Amino acid sequence: MSDATPEELTQRVFEILRGGLLDVGADFTPRSNLVAAGLDSLAVTQLMLAIEESTGVWIDDSLLTPENLESAESLANLLHRQLRGA
Amino acid sequence: MTGVAGFHGSLPLTGADCFLRAFDHEIQRLNGANHVSQLVLRLGPGFDAEGFRRVIEEAARVHPLLRAPVARRLGFGPPVFRLGAAARCPMPRVEIHDQAAERAEAVPDLFFSRLNQPLSLRRGELIRFDAVRYAGGATGTDLAASWLHLLFDGAGSERFMRRLDECYRGERQIAELPDADETAPERGAKLPFKERGRAAQAWQTAHEAMAARPPRSLAGPVRRTPQALRYSVDAFSAQETARVVATARTRAGFLTPMLFYLAAALRAHHAVFQARGVDPGSYVVPLPVNLRPKGGEGAVFRTHVSLMWFQAFPEQMEDFDALVADLKAQRVAAIRSGQIENGVHAMDFARIAPRRLYAHMARRTLHGELCSFFFAFTDGFLPGLGEFFGAEIHNGFHVPPVPPSPGSCIALSLREGHLNATHVVQRGVFSDRELAIFRERLRADLLG
Repeated sequence: MSDATPEELTQRVFEILRGGLLDVGADFTPRSNLVAAGLDSLAVTQLMLAIEESTGVWIDDSLLTPENLESAESLANLLHRQLRGA
Repeated sequence: MTGVAGFHGSLPLTGADCFLRAFDHEIQRLNGANHVSQLVLRLGPGFDAEGFRRVIEEAARVHPLLRAPVARRLGFGPPVFRLGAAARCPMPRVEIHDQAAERAEAVPDLFFSRLNQPLSLRRGELIRFDAVRYAGGATGTDLAASWLHLLFDGAGSERFMRRLDECYRGERQIAELPDADETAPERGAKLPFKERGRAAQAWQTAHEAMAARPPRSLAGPVRRTPQALRYSVDAFSAQETARVVATARTRAGFLTPMLFYLAAALRAHHAVFQARGVDPGSYVVPLPVNLRPKGGEGAVFRTHVSLMWFQAFPEQMEDFDALVADLKAQRVAAIRSGQIENGVHAMDFARIAPRRLYAHMARRTLHGELCSFFFAFTDGFLPGLGEFFGAEIHNGFHVPPVPPSPGSCIALSLREGHLNATHVVQRGVFSDRELAIFRERLRADLLG
């Protein structure tokens, strides 16, 4: 998983979100704002657990800033940096 | 659904409803009251009381849930809302009380008494409304909706009030007050009974682990005492609120500010225990978790929550940031271990377990206590809704129910940039001096 590209990770995060974490319509894209789409404290923790299961990386709480949670894409970029640094 | 008279059948209670029903029964039996929630709106001039009465009556004609008796199916099956029997039940009461006096900062005493006056699941008396008009409404109105907690949870009650106003303004049909599929029978496969039992057992085991250092509430494990709840609301200024919100984000994270508020609530209770010179054992607090799908509108009626339990110890109360860090770790561990899902299954067993047995088991686990105190942080209160039935909303907040033991509940919410800290207490649990200590500690911690 550590050699996954940001695009692959974006797709992975996007699939997790659409797979039941968020009740979103067809207009939800990898660039949609996650908080506006309903991502709350519970959903974000469930998302982190799903990401950990999928990639083995636990994203530290201190990194869950509004900027990093802006969209599936920005979160995947953070994840990519974490994987490269891991 | 075309009307109460033409409606047949029943709607099952959720597991969380049944859980609340067990405690409602216990409060009825031991404390002569019910498990009643309240939502309060403090309105400016112009409230259309007759318009409100009309919309409520129309809603109760169309939606049998608002006055459906609750009973076990065939006398021994899972409890249901008996929709077909709703037509024989009285309409929800809407009472208008005119007061010549100026509106005080405190809410009217009448609202406290409504928390302690019985409603009835059996007779379909599920909700009532009281409007206190000042100078005939010319200077403002205070409105309280008081309901049996299983009719809807905090999120559902806000959605209900918002949609009532939409009906009043002609933006929504009364038939669409709940979504069309909300009152349909539940669908979807459930886990096999054995697996549900295992999940419920895991929840119980986690609960029992907390009993290694059992909590003691400020009320103590009191049983037979008349329920006599009242509450106070500490309304923070816009400047103070901005400071509290910023501090909560910095110290607990931008998506988990509730842990900052929980830590403050823990320390406020601890300050009272210290002043009393009593060992609290530990602090055990349940946090309601909203189970509605994220991002959707979600259900209005019935309760859709699970519980996440936190435990903290007196020796952790000195260091606020370390306390928050520990609560954060507990939260992640609870989600990781499936505590929320396990809680759903554990509460589901209240569908079949006798009410009295279920409530007894819940108290027995923690040596006679339910928990140390109740806590809720519901974030924005009716965000974006500026008027209600023609009157400007000056303030609004929730008043969650609390049984005489533990006898203390702190609920926090934000209304248009103002933080409200609502403290619900059973009479006699706090002395005046202890209340002052509690409020001072809470305020100081919130303001950082």
